[in-house]
Amino acid sequence: MNRLDYFVLLATILAIPLYGLWRTRGGASLGQYLKGDASIRWGTIGLSVLATQAGPITFLSMPGQAYESGIGFIQNYFGQPLALVIVCAVFVPIYQRLKVFTAYQYLGQRFDRKTQMLGAFLFLVQRGIAAGITIYAPAIILSALLGWRLDLTIWLAGGLVIIYTVAGGTKIVSLTQRYQMMVILIGMAIAFAVVVYRLSGEISFGHALEVAGKMGKLQAVDFSIDPHKRYTFWSGIIGGFFLALSYFGADQSQVQRYLAGDSIKASRFGLLFNAIVKVPMQFFILLLGAMVFMFYQFEKPPVYFNRPAYERAVEHGAGPELAALETESDHVFEEKRAVIRAASAQLSQPAVDQMLQLDARAHEIRDRTKKVLDHAGADPKSKESDYVFITFVLQQMPHGFVGLLVAVILCATMSVTAATLNALGSTTAIDFYRPLLRPQASDHHYVIATQVLTTVWGLVAIAVASFANLVENLIEAGNILGSVFYGSILGLFLVAFFVRAVRGSAVFVAALLAQALVFLLFFTTSIGYLWYNLIGCAAVLLFAPILQQTIFRGTQADVGV
Amino acid sequence: MNATTDTPQSWRKAYAMALGLFALEVLLLYLFTIRFS
Repeated sequence: MNRLDYFVLLATILAIPLYGLWRTRGGASLGQYLKGDASIRWGTIGLSVLATQAGPITFLSMPGQAYESGIGFIQNYFGQPLALVIVCAVFVPIYQRLKVFTAYQYLGQRFDRKTQMLGAFLFLVQRGIAAGITIYAPAIILSALLGWRLDLTIWLAGGLVIIYTVAGGTKIVSLTQRYQMMVILIGMAIAFAVVVYRLSGEISFGHALEVAGKMGKLQAVDFSIDPHKRYTFWSGIIGGFFLALSYFGADQSQVQRYLAGDSIKASRFGLLFNAIVKVPMQFFILLLGAMVFMFYQFEKPPVYFNRPAYERAVEHGAGPELAALETESDHVFEEKRAVIRAASAQLSQPAVDQMLQLDARAHEIRDRTKKVLDHAGADPKSKESDYVFITFVLQQMPHGFVGLLVAVILCATMSVTAATLNALGSTTAIDFYRPLLRPQASDHHYVIATQVLTTVWGLVAIAVASFANLVENLIEAGNILGSVFYGSILGLFLVAFFVRAVRGSAVFVAALLAQALVFLLFFTTSIGYLWYNLIGCAAVLLFAPILQQTIFRGTQADVGV
Repeated sequence: MNATTDTPQSWRKAYAMALGLFALEVLLLYLFTIRFS
């Protein structure tokens, strides 16, 4: 990165929060601080909802995922449109009518205080950890590749977010997310244009698609019913549906986004916008990864994309072994490039077989390289594919755009973290602080309390990020964590909406049992993580009526909040 | 999406339209898969 890149980066990540602070200057009532105000239109809500889900992991890991194993991940989003329609039809009118600040207040009104607190607690646990991962994941990669200090990178991203989120509340989160999402979309479109342009000297876009398809990178839809396959049409449409229903209906970081407007219409349009644009947007990001894969069929890729880990291994004495692997990798690359060049005009089956064989050899060399790195104690913590896209950006994009793309990663980090901290602070203040500690205080008091709690959660996220040991794959970590908790939370809400006979104690115990069941399955089986959403939710829906009819038969509803 | 009148019927139309567009997106992805696999 040169001075121009740093200028573009700093200008982008600072200008948006500063504009947000200017737009939200002056005091706010509790309602305005937690729910925004009437000036937030459906377009801003739509972009804000989109930005809350599309974190840095989406833009760092997803192209790498497509590079590694194709675009099948798109199927994980197939459950979303139907879930969003149900959220529009069922959840939104209830939240708007009851004028709740958090989704869990509804549980308190429908059941009792302990169920409200259980829903809020499950949310706080998983989102509190997820906020740390959101900051840590891009920070470790950017700091490793750009030579930045990890602790400073974490504090830069986290600290900036704390300042503007605490100052402006929900309105500033929505406003900044709108512009951050625009920067992200423009940046990714430019990256796509650059990779296609750089490819055009070797192969046309159409032929690149042909070759990528034959190399197994473009299978978007897979109707296989094998439950151990992670990405299939069925796991996406069923498991993804429950994940999305829980995420959009019962996760305060999303609920707060679409309650930011003052009308049901604005909330619904914002959500329907997401139902329509989400799948094409994810497809476009995955296709970008497939095109980066094609680019590296003509331009020699590093034998291992995680260069900092590679260099540590060289320092630890693995240099000769790695040099031999690099030479072997270069030979395979040259051979594969020659086959692809010869075959790109007319793809015959023998040429395709040869390409696949050489690609498998390249994979095998990378696996051996990873083993050498492990052996040398170089500790390649994150998955190698997470470094693919950012390596392409840093090495192949023109100056200026490099700064913009790094800004894209930081904008995504900031937008998700802001939404999460905003929700964590609000939930702690409304679902715990107000009912338990200060039930009768003034609006102003609760605004201050929410600001303090948002700051505390920000510091917790930074602490988690500072002490985290990175999980194997960034892109999966958030979804796995969510899937383990979301099923039970969704179950609470679905019982609340649709099983009128069930009271607070029965649903409370049912949710605890369901959560225990999910933990048990998580630690003892290897089923695809999306299914936990379905299992947790179904368990609450099953246990709650049974408990109501047996152990809690005849109990009355407890007093709600 | 003609839901500006804010009636239940117009919202049902909006939902149907959103789901119809999604179905079209999946169909196109399926055709894309067949074409390039």
